[in-house]
Formats: sequence, C-alpha cells, structure tokens
Amino acid sequence: MTTAIAYEHVQMAYGQKVIIPDFNLEIAKGEFVTVIGSSGCGKTTILKMVNGLVLPTAGRVLVEGQDIKQLDLINLRRNIGYAIQGSVLFPHMTVEENIAYVPTLLNGADHERTLRAVSKWMQIVGLDEEIRQRYPDELSGGQQQRVGIARALAASPDILLMDEPFGAVDALTRGQLQEELRRIYQQTGITVLFVTHDIHEALKLGTRVLVMDQGQVLQYGTPDEIVHRPAAAFVRQLVGKDDR
Amino acid sequence: MLQSILALLAERHEFFLNLLWQHLEISFVAIAIAIVFGGLAGILISEYQRAAKPTLAVINFLYTIPSISMLGFLIPFSGIGNATAIIALTIYALLPMVRSTHTGISNVEPALLEAAVGMGSTRLQVLRRIKLPLAMPVIMSGIRSMATMTIALAGIASFIGAGGLGIAIYRGITTNNAALTMTGSLLIAVLALVVDVLLGLAERCVGRHPRKAGANSSNPKPCWCRYALPVILALVLLGAGGSYFWRTPKPVTLHLATKPMTEQFILGEMLRVLIIQETGLPVQVTPGVGGGTANIEIGMEKGVFDLYPEYTGTGWNAVLKNKGLYTESLFNQMQAEYKEKLGLEWVGMYGFNNTFGMVVQKDIAQRYNLKTYSDLAKVAPQLTFGAEYDFFERKDGYQALCDAYNLKFKGTVDLDIGLKYQALNEKKIDVMNIFTTDGQLAAADAVVLVDDKNFYPSYKCGTVVRREILQQQPKLAAALHKLDDKITDSAMAEMNYQVETNKKEPKAVAHDFLRQAGLLKGEVQP
Repeated sequence: MTTAIAYEHVQMAYGQKVIIPDFNLEIAKGEFVTVIGSSGCGKTTILKMVNGLVLPTAGRVLVEGQDIKQLDLINLRRNIGYAIQGSVLFPHMTVEENIAYVPTLLNGADHERTLRAVSKWMQIVGLDEEIRQRYPDELSGGQQQRVGIARALAASPDILLMDEPFGAVDALTRGQLQEELRRIYQQTGITVLFVTHDIHEALKLGTRVLVMDQGQVLQYGTPDEIVHRPAAAFVRQLVGKDDR
Repeated sequence: MLQSILALLAERHEFFLNLLWQHLEISFVAIAIAIVFGGLAGILISEYQRAAKPTLAVINFLYTIPSISMLGFLIPFSGIGNATAIIALTIYALLPMVRSTHTGISNVEPALLEAAVGMGSTRLQVLRRIKLPLAMPVIMSGIRSMATMTIALAGIASFIGAGGLGIAIYRGITTNNAALTMTGSLLIAVLALVVDVLLGLAERCVGRHPRKAGANSSNPKPCWCRYALPVILALVLLGAGGSYFWRTPKPVTLHLATKPMTEQFILGEMLRVLIIQETGLPVQVTPGVGGGTANIEIGMEKGVFDLYPEYTGTGWNAVLKNKGLYTESLFNQMQAEYKEKLGLEWVGMYGFNNTFGMVVQKDIAQRYNLKTYSDLAKVAPQLTFGAEYDFFERKDGYQALCDAYNLKFKGTVDLDIGLKYQALNEKKIDVMNIFTTDGQLAAADAVVLVDDKNFYPSYKCGTVVRREILQQQPKLAAALHKLDDKITDSAMAEMNYQVETNKKEPKAVAHDFLRQAGLLKGEVQP
C-alpha cells in the first residue's frame, strides 16, 4: 500500500505561539481518515497543509511522495477536492456553474466534457437534474451540501479534503449525507481527510480515526481500536462519554 | 415661469440640443475615464490592502477641494476649455468609483475566497470569477451615484470656457435672464435623472440574480441581461471617446471668446456674423468665459482662442501689467507691446468707450450731497461697496481707486456683473462701480459721481487677435475693420438695455444693429 499523504516533523507556529510542535503521520492511499479533537487542536491546520493553504514553519508535507513546497500549488489544489464548513457555494453561480468550477479552470475550452462531468457528479451525489440552473439560495440545506460535495469531486481528484462539511445541517439530513459520502468513497476509492468534532461521525465514516490534542497525535487507528483500546485519557473520555 | 421655459425650449431647441450634446460629451468622457481608472485603482488597492489607506486619503483630500478652486488650479496647466473641465470632473468622479470598488471587493466573504483559492484558482481567476461578480452590485451603485454627480457638476464647466448646459445657466445669470438659467438647470436635472434610470436598469441586471426562489428555473437570466453592462459600458466608452476624437480635427475654425457680460455677448455675435460673411470661415464662439480677461488671456496665449473683444485700458494695465494711467495717446506703444510680448494685435476699434464709473444710491447722494468721488471719501466709512469679482483683484481696480481718493468703505461685497444693479436696487450695497455703457444704468435709482481727479483711464473697445491667425487668414483684418467707429457709447448702452431689461436675445440685438448700420449682406448665417 502506498502513501497518499505524509507529515514529517511538521511544526506550525504563529509568532511565539506554537500550535503544532512536531507532527508526524502517514496516511495510506484509499483511507478515509476522520480527524477529531477539541477546537483549536490544530486539526483544520493539518487539513489545510495538504493543499498548501497553510504552509508549515518547519518540516515537510508530502503528497503522493512529493514535498508540496516543490510543487506548483495551483496545480496541486486543482487535483485535490476541497469542501469546507457549510459547503460555501458561490452565490452568484448556478448549481451547474458551481460544480463546473474546477473543471472549467482545468479545461476551460472543452465545455461539453465539463457539462458531462457535472451530470455525472450530480447523479452520484443524488441531485435532481432540474435544479441545475438554480442558485444556491434557492436550494435546501441538504441540497447545498450535496452540491458542495459534487463541486469538490467534479475534477475527479485523488484526495478529498473536508472540513466539517455537514456542520450546518439537521441531524436527519446529516445522516443521509454521511451515507452518500460513504457510498461515494466506496465507489471511487479516493483518499479522504475529514475533519469533524462529532465522535459519532468520526467513528461511523472513518476507516482510520485520528485523535488530536494540542497539535499532537494522541491515537491513529481503526474505529475499533479507538473504541476498545483507547491510547490516552483524552481518547477514553471522548469515547467514554459516548458510552454513558 | 414654466411657460417661458417651454417657449424658450421651442424657440431655441437647436441651441439647447447642442449644449445638451456637449454636456453629455464632457460628462461621459469624465465618467468613462473614472470608471476605467477608478475601477483599476479600486481593484489594485483591494489586492494590495496596504496601499488602500494612503490612496483613499489622497483621493479624499482631492474630493474636498471646492470645485471652483479646482478649476482655478487646473487652468495654468491645461488651459481654458473642455480638457480642464474633464480633468476636474474625473478627479471628483474618482473617489466614489475607487471607494465603491474597494468596498465591494473587500466585503466579499473570506470563506468564499478561501474556497476559491483552495480549489486551485489563480489570483486573477479569484478576482475575475469571484471577487468582481460579487462586488458588482456595490460597484454599480457607486457608478450610478458617480454618474449623476458628474452630470450635475459638469454644469460649472462653462465657468472655464467649456461647453455644456452650464453655458445656459451662466449666460442666464450674466444677462439677468431667469428663464434661461432655469431651462439650463432643468435640462441638467432631466439628463441626470435619465442616466440614473438607465444605470438603474443595468444595475438590476448585474444583481446576483433577478429571479425569486421557486420561479421557473429553466433560464436564469434573460440573455440580454448578461451582456447589458458590458454593452452599455462599451457604448459609453465608444460614444464618448469616439465623438471626442472624431470631433477634434476640423477645418480651420476661428475660436472667438467673450467675457461674461451682456455687451460682449452682443459684440461676439456681431463679430461672428461679420467674419462668416466676409471670410467664409467657420467661427466657434465661447461666450462668457468665467473670470473674464484673466482666463481668456491664458486661452489666447495657448491658442485655444483666436480673438476676443477687449478694452484698451484693461489691455494696458491688466494684460501688459503696465503701471500708470492709460490714455489713448499710448495706443501705439501698447500695440507694439502686444505684438512683441504676446503675439497679439489690436484690429479695429468699435468707437465706444466703456470706462468705469461709480454710482451711489440716490437717497444717500441727496442726504450727504454727494457729487464727486472726493465727496464720497468723507462718508465712505458708513457705506458698503459692491463690484464684480475681478474688480477687487485687478491692478487698476478697487485698491487703486481707494488709494487715489483715500476711500475707506465699511465693507465690500463680491457680486456677479449681472446681479449688481439688483443688489443696488435692493439696497444690499450703497455704492458700486459701473461701466459707462451699462444698460441698467438708465433704469437704476442711482446717481453717477464725477471722477474729479481723473482716476479712470480710457477703455475703448476693440478686437484683439492672435497674429498667427491674421497671417493665415488675410481677409480677417478687413472683416474686423468693418466695425470701426460704428458703435457710440449711447448705442452700446441702448443695446445692453434691450437685452437686460427688454429681454431681447443678444443675437437678435446684434443682428438689428448690423442691419441698421448697413453691414449685413443678405441673411444672417446661423
């Protein structure tokens, strides 16, 4: 099994304040990694280091074996799906234009191909063709999240980064979206890095769960290992609360 | 009032259409330049936020300069005429444009920008595909208010010899013709409103999306809407730019300027008619250049104007800046200095002498038994003196007069030439300077005082022409000499009276005079 993402002695500091002292992790290709931890533990920072939105003050981040400092960030980002909190669709673009955003950046001229990709991804995320020309504020919360996922996947990336994508929807819709996401993951075999603060979600979706605290890895293991063999008091507390 | 405005519009629609077109031209060129450069500046300071504060501070400062002084500052650099007006208008239009662009772009939600960057957009793509479309509603409303403001402000452009509806306003004020002023103002207001409505339509089109939720979703915007803004912008740019450059190269046109006073409007028309009749050359008249001599003189030296009616005494003291009293025996010396120092020449003297005088309200004159300027000196500390703006500034004006007679007035009031008699009749001022050909002098309730120390010089009126033009156009001099000694003091005063009190058009009065003097051959050329 090859490595999709690797962190080597990554350090992140804002002035005097060290957020991440020394972070090391290897994520194998095809894993669905859920990242959980209290807020401010550095989980979003870890995520943004993969597509170079945040650059580490020291250490290396490798994507598919290559140091991202040596890569063209624009190109790298176009090959990594990115969906953030509340999905953040572009309000002045239709559903179609939103989903087509990255494909258009990539192959602006081949409009036909882009439209086919939009149809394909709308179908995969379970969106009705008839909302194609609607604007984001004419969609329900669930539909918006689906468009967000479709937009992140539209260029068929190898890696998908998601930062609490379902944070703003109701429990029922969230459940459905989680099912869809799992199905898509199984269909595509993509590597997913998924930040959440909900332990249910982390255990339900992840093939691996990464528990973080104060910028450090507390435990990296399967959901089963996390639940049955918690490696630290924080992990025990996180899962333990769940048992009560 | 409405009736007289409508009558005026019907009677002189060509005149007003021409002014309207000039007004559009000046304001649209300024608006187009401001949209392009203000927009670019707004984008740049949004991309490089550190530059935003100093840039906005500088533009803010420019914005606070009163428009009159802005025009004044610009005259030495860009001269009299449309260029200066456009520069000034552009400077005022920049602030709303830069600010709305900057505000619009800065207010785009950061999360959207992060999403766009995270998905691999280049800086230019983020700007073009996310920032600008989302900022467009704010930018459009900025353009809208900027355009209306510019059109309104363009009304003062005629103050420095530019065209536009301000000419109607300014001429209305100087010839005491309220209907003319009202019509000019009204047309500016209408023009501003129409442009505002058109831009409002464009604004609706660039709004995020005009459709309400749940409406038929097959077609998001009527397709013309997508192209409306670029098309309107392109048309404005093309129309403004095109007409501006396309209109500049013309056959040799004589540019005739006049000072902002009734007499000069009449003389300007006489000269225009005679030149066209005798030489066949087209003549473009810039009537009533604000500030009078000082500003026309700059235009003459820069070649913006070719000829204008001037007074000998003014030429000697204010233009040549010679000290001492001018008498007509100095004419040859003055002519030589004009040719040598200024490249200008006096060609043809009309005959009348429009010199200064001073009047006092009749009851004040009777109360103190005032007959001469020397009598006035004794009671001056109780009286207020009024004069037009440049009388207080010129070397042969107010200060010299006060020094000669040891006058010390209680206060002074700056008045427009056209409003002076009104101010005297309403007793806002007690004493004022006059010209010996003032039409309203006959009707005024005032006593003309005697210049007992011969303070005032001679002010015979004639045409000053650029020598270059005289050499290029050999027939011109003969045309100008047609008016030699044709107009007496009383004839001039009478013509002024016809315009100012009997409300005749300066043009009509000029034509009547030429006809009676037998100078007109056939019909008057428009």
